[in-house]
Amino acid sequence: MVTREDVENIALLSKLFVPEEELDSLTQSMQEIINFADEINKADADEEGFDNINNLSNVFHEDEVVESYPVEEILKNAPEQAEDHFLVRNRE
Amino acid sequence: MGTISKIHEMLVSGECSCAELTKSYLDEIEKANPELNAYVNVTPDEAMRAAQAVDKKLAAGEEIGMLEGVPMTLKDNLSTKGIETTCCSKILTGYKPIFDATVWEILKSRNAVMLGKTNMDEFAMGSSCETSYFGGAMNPVNTNHVAGGSSGGVSSAVGGNIAAYGLGSDTGGSIRQPASFCGVVGLKPTYGSVSRYGLIAYASSLDQIGPITKSVEDASIVFDAISAPDRRDSTCKGNVGGATYPTLDNDIKGMKIGIAREYLDGVRDDVREAVLEAAKVYEALGAEIVYFDLPILKFALPVYYIIACAEASSNLGRYDGIRYGYKTAHYNGTHDMICRTRSEGFGEEVKRRILLGTYVLSAGYYDAYYKKAQNLRGTIVKAFDRAFEQCDVILAPTVPMTAFEKGHAVSDPIETYLTDICTVPVNIAGLPGVSVPCGFNSKGMPIGMQLIGKSFGEAQILNAAYKYQQAAPDKFMDTKWGVRL
Repeated sequence: MVTREDVENIALLSKLFVPEEELDSLTQSMQEIINFADEINKADADEEGFDNINNLSNVFHEDEVVESYPVEEILKNAPEQAEDHFLVRNRE
Repeated sequence: MGTISKIHEMLVSGECSCAELTKSYLDEIEKANPELNAYVNVTPDEAMRAAQAVDKKLAAGEEIGMLEGVPMTLKDNLSTKGIETTCCSKILTGYKPIFDATVWEILKSRNAVMLGKTNMDEFAMGSSCETSYFGGAMNPVNTNHVAGGSSGGVSSAVGGNIAAYGLGSDTGGSIRQPASFCGVVGLKPTYGSVSRYGLIAYASSLDQIGPITKSVEDASIVFDAISAPDRRDSTCKGNVGGATYPTLDNDIKGMKIGIAREYLDGVRDDVREAVLEAAKVYEALGAEIVYFDLPILKFALPVYYIIACAEASSNLGRYDGIRYGYKTAHYNGTHDMICRTRSEGFGEEVKRRILLGTYVLSAGYYDAYYKKAQNLRGTIVKAFDRAFEQCDVILAPTVPMTAFEKGHAVSDPIETYLTDICTVPVNIAGLPGVSVPCGFNSKGMPIGMQLIGKSFGEAQILNAAYKYQQAAPDKFMDTKWGVRL
């Protein structure tokens, strides 16, 4: 059973605000999706486990220093920047 | 003959210059795009520059490769250096990557002419393209219908002849479903055959990049070009199964084509009939049809949504208004700033999937949902392994229905999720699958069938698809839009 409190808690973990007026409809919609997801609990218990697909294995590289992207290029996409840093203000 | 080889011949024979060809594509985009809404960003300057480079080579008498000078498009979740890449989300508006996705790096090095970036469901989450921040792409066969999703823009552009081919991404059917809706070919390669570097992540263990084309031959040419190992994507082994083009026309006599009965349950009658009709074509070509059961498939859809949303909730954690994209205008404190940015920047479906993913990963629910789904994923992988002991390729519908009318998908999330029922098993098991047109419903909307192969078995499914295309060319239709070659 998904409750309003569950949705509020999950939203907080997800760093999303849910407006008070949308809370009931979102709770209901989450409940419907969870009911749908609950289908999997009807499967037999003897699942076979899963670790990776197509026998992929870890790839190791030598720890080489390679050229990276220029700081000013990376900062161009930031909403705010100061000198060579991303800028995060506590207040607007 | 496929579109790509036709263009190649036109360029080599001097029937037209690459600049002229590119100009005619750009002109047709201008005419068709207001209705199709396939492109969200047209890049005429880049396209013409690339075309001129090809013309220069031709003028100097140099040989050109098959993909050189061929006008194409990329889904807007593939990173293009210096060109806005938004995933059709408000939260990435204005974002210009500082690097190219590997697939684009490969095609660019072969002088591909990119016409622009195409429409998609926001962050590839949707089955109708209508969750796009820029509005949905329409179906070139009938513009009252959606193009499908999430790679709706690529399918609309290719079906509408305003791109010769395009690259999309497929997490649960996002290449194959819109290809089926628009009557074109869509290949979702084996997980690990094409580098995902530069693909903006939705669900990393399911995502794969692949071509959407007018013909099977074109899909083979593009797949062979883009499937290569890449040290920037540790999961990418490249084209382990070898080039697909040389074996396209191989005889399929004796090939065992499997049909899992579960794939035919719950699909519309006209879709089932079209797929069974295709099975008859294969029998006439000398293939053997084998029926079997794959009961585990009934759990594929919830398994998919649990795993995909869990991975998405983690992947989309990076959008915080600090490093790129949209940032809220008014806030009080950093927590408030991040929450407001995300709440204002993400659309409804994206938020729903982040919340669902966070729920199934949270303490108390992890074992019941995420862990259980991962275990079932293992069971599904093994069930396909066993199925392939009885057959070489699996034939199935791509989608249980044909393209829905616009606005239909937005109303009911669960009903919309059900449209992915035939496509998600392939992503869960990491297998290759190609959607090929196989008929039309009573209203003339295209029906698609899917050929599913063993891991790295692209050559085999494209061979089977090509033989079908040769035997049933009337299923491959053209639309009234775009460039006439």
